[in-house]
Amino acid sequence: MSRRSLPGRRDPGHSRVMVIATAVILGFVVLIGQLWYLQVLEGGRFLDASDKNRIRIRPIAAPRGILYDRNGTPLVDNRPAFTLSLIPRELPRDVESRDAVLGRVASLLNIPYQELLDAVARVQLDSFLPVRVRRGLTLTDVAKVEEWKLELPGVITEVEPQRVYPTSRFAAHLLGYVREANDEQLKQGRYRRGDMVGQSGLERLLDEYLRGQDGGERIEVDAMGRQVRRVQQMEPHAGAQVVTTIDRGFQEAAERAMDGHAGAVVVMDPRNGDVLAMVSTPAFEIDRFTGTIEREAWLRVVQDPNFPLLNRTIQSQYAPGSVFKIIVAAAGLQEGSITPLDRTFCNGEFRLGTFAFKDWKEGGHGLVDLHQSIVHSCNIFFYQAGLKIGAPAIVKYASAFGFSQPTGVDLPGEKLGFLPQPKAVRGRATKTWPAGETVNMSIGQGAVLVTPMQVARFMSAVANGGVLWRPRLVQRVERSERGVVWADRGQVSGHVELSPVVWAFLRQSMWAVVNDGGTGVGARIPGLDIAGKTGTAQMISKSRADKGQDHAWFAAFAPAKAPEVVVVVLVERGGKGGQVAAPIARKILNAIFYEKVAAVEVDG
Amino acid sequence: MVGIDRRLLQNVDWALIAVAFGLVVMSAVTLASLHVGRAGGSVVLRQLIWFLIGLIALILLGSLDYRRLVRAAPAIYLLGLMGLAAVFVLGRTVSGARRWVVFGPLSIQPSEIFKVCFLLMVVWAITSRWAQPVGKITLALTLPILAVPIVLIIKQPDLGTAILLVPVLGILLIGAGMRLKLLGGLALASLAAMPLAWLALKEYQRERILVFLDPFRDPLGSAYNVIQAKIAIGSGQLLGKGVAGATQSRLAFLPERHTDFIFAVFAEMWGFVGCLVLLFCYVLLLLRGFDIAASAREPVGRLLALGATTLIAAQVLINVGMVTGLLPVVGIPLPMMSYGGSSMVASFMTLGLLLSVRMRQFQ
Repeated sequence: MSRRSLPGRRDPGHSRVMVIATAVILGFVVLIGQLWYLQVLEGGRFLDASDKNRIRIRPIAAPRGILYDRNGTPLVDNRPAFTLSLIPRELPRDVESRDAVLGRVASLLNIPYQELLDAVARVQLDSFLPVRVRRGLTLTDVAKVEEWKLELPGVITEVEPQRVYPTSRFAAHLLGYVREANDEQLKQGRYRRGDMVGQSGLERLLDEYLRGQDGGERIEVDAMGRQVRRVQQMEPHAGAQVVTTIDRGFQEAAERAMDGHAGAVVVMDPRNGDVLAMVSTPAFEIDRFTGTIEREAWLRVVQDPNFPLLNRTIQSQYAPGSVFKIIVAAAGLQEGSITPLDRTFCNGEFRLGTFAFKDWKEGGHGLVDLHQSIVHSCNIFFYQAGLKIGAPAIVKYASAFGFSQPTGVDLPGEKLGFLPQPKAVRGRATKTWPAGETVNMSIGQGAVLVTPMQVARFMSAVANGGVLWRPRLVQRVERSERGVVWADRGQVSGHVELSPVVWAFLRQSMWAVVNDGGTGVGARIPGLDIAGKTGTAQMISKSRADKGQDHAWFAAFAPAKAPEVVVVVLVERGGKGGQVAAPIARKILNAIFYEKVAAVEVDG
Repeated sequence: MVGIDRRLLQNVDWALIAVAFGLVVMSAVTLASLHVGRAGGSVVLRQLIWFLIGLIALILLGSLDYRRLVRAAPAIYLLGLMGLAAVFVLGRTVSGARRWVVFGPLSIQPSEIFKVCFLLMVVWAITSRWAQPVGKITLALTLPILAVPIVLIIKQPDLGTAILLVPVLGILLIGAGMRLKLLGGLALASLAAMPLAWLALKEYQRERILVFLDPFRDPLGSAYNVIQAKIAIGSGQLLGKGVAGATQSRLAFLPERHTDFIFAVFAEMWGFVGCLVLLFCYVLLLLRGFDIAASAREPVGRLLALGATTLIAAQVLINVGMVTGLLPVVGIPLPMMSYGGSSMVASFMTLGLLLSVRMRQFQ
């Protein structure tokens, strides 16, 4: 063991052990001193405290952050609402009298008895934390509970902030609903039972910011459950404020304009990609989704054949119809396959092999050039032009304009749309890509699928000369004490390079669609230069009964010279774009330009 | 190899063993009176089974020559580290911390057992020939031994166990004759590094320290434990409320009452006098430990006994200190009292080391 003996210096170990032992004993003396203080000197006070230890912990829910529109008008607000809660520790201990209390609550407030039993079964019975049973009590309910208070130990009503919306269905898909954390979210461990969590839309996207920090208070209560005094309180911190890109006036106008139609509206600022309005109809009753929704109401919404939960602006895909002709024209002009002087005689029918492709107009448009074919939406011209340009070039320009790619909008569940890939098909055998497909594609039918948001981005690019903006919904998130905590400065996601004469041609033709006797005349507003394109997307099912079941499109920007807004309207099963969608766009544009003028004057 | 002869048996420290048994009995009585959950009885039963396992560990370690153990320390230490790392692979998460490894019905907390491995390793390092003379070289050799497990344990996260390793190393260095000036310098340096450590802490750990500094910062969360523990202890007064009267503990005002906060339960039931008896037991145990260290004739035995005693002393002082509100709440169990198998086994392994040193001090 020689290597383990300490050579050199004299071994000071023994005395040091003694010193250390003394230090430890001193530590014990300090502990005993503290115990003396707690148990003997202050013991009486603590005994008193333990006798009276009927301390109730009352969480104070933090108000969720408020979502504002671009002008500082709230899109959603909070108001106080009453919540019925149970305090497990204060319910009667024996099962029989506890069930009696629960039964009394059930009959007083008309809540299913089983729901109460379930709520109690989920928690530890010695917990002091209130368990929320039902949110959104009426004042009458609250009065009943207070009246029966002595018979209802462990049953309390609390005041909590709850979401309130301008109208029952206002911007439902955009904002999204807020509900108690579900079991799956609880499993992730970020939430406590009863926490309100954004479940869809911006409420979900920005949940981390919107939910504040709950506060709480500890109150002493007497044997009757009445508050004796408040021991401690911690103020809740409200959630962050979100400034969106939405204009509440535009949003309301767009929702009004849709007036019972199923479909979608996107209003976008082509200069920066700001989404000014986002409407999907039918919408669900967002105010009924907040808090505790009854099972039946929930099922009714989920099973509704019109899919009110679907955000049609980004989650539904449609054939673009004649709106797509702008892309075909752009492709043809830029590639040099067609020129504005090319003419075709349209007799209402185009034969390709044994197939006959019809124009929408019985008897045809007569002799038309490219400009007139856009203005009057002549199909025959585009059938032939499409064959000249070729499917690969059309698909190339469609992808350049962002189709079949996500727009990158800040909401979950965005669909990509679809563009066929003729090149790949051609690589194997020319014959597998039928010319008929190209013919169909030239007028936006067949395999092509787009979302309204993609159309809005495309239309913005046409309006601003080729810049594809990622649609922006949120400008910034602010906390009152810390300023801006998150900001989205907008982002360009692509460029489309077309020669200036091509841009000018497209804009001129689209102006004429509305203002020079074209199909979009229904959107015309005197004094306002609107440029647009109508579209009528045939339903895939070709049964005769579906006549008039086409989707109606209208995509426009204004003013044509210096575009400030893009409006895209889609009406499901609406019929002709010019007859159904264009008038809706007109109402929205009217509100945007003329109601804005009024507002400015009032401000001045 | 297990050399038990008459002379060894004569030197068994029966007093030490008796005191340890006494503590286990007090633990069982306290747990039994708590009726923890619906499985109140099985908690006591399990604690006693763990006690038996601990006893076997004690006999095993006691009969082994501690010098052999210290010689094998690097291997044992590596095994211990692997156990710590295993938590990340096989670990079970309980209230946000991965501290347990589950083997069938047993769940083991490797960080508890690791304390013993760590002790052996530090003793090996300090007494190794490369660490001589005791000074800066020794520090350079031992600090990595501390750093590696601390990182692993804090990651689990188990702040309490990590903190425990520091005084053990410190006391062993002092006991080995390290100049106090050097240690003082090191302490100052680590004090300067505190802000960095603050950044490394988890949110809840920071919160606990802040709550310690200002208990009313969060009366609903962390501070609730401390406030309730103080009420429980204080209301025990001089003689205690007895088993039936201990409302604080039995009505579940007190969280963690069968593990880290068991002292508060005991204090409420048996009062100041009971606490004196309990603390006296610990003092007795520790004094035996220090006596073994002081009367050991060579440095390995002395340091091992000193370290083992420090390990227990630090746990008792920190645990009771935090329950009585003198120290921030860190998760450290009260040796031989708190419910928990790994802690129980680790405590008895530590006692086993002490016995081994005592039995061989005349060889």
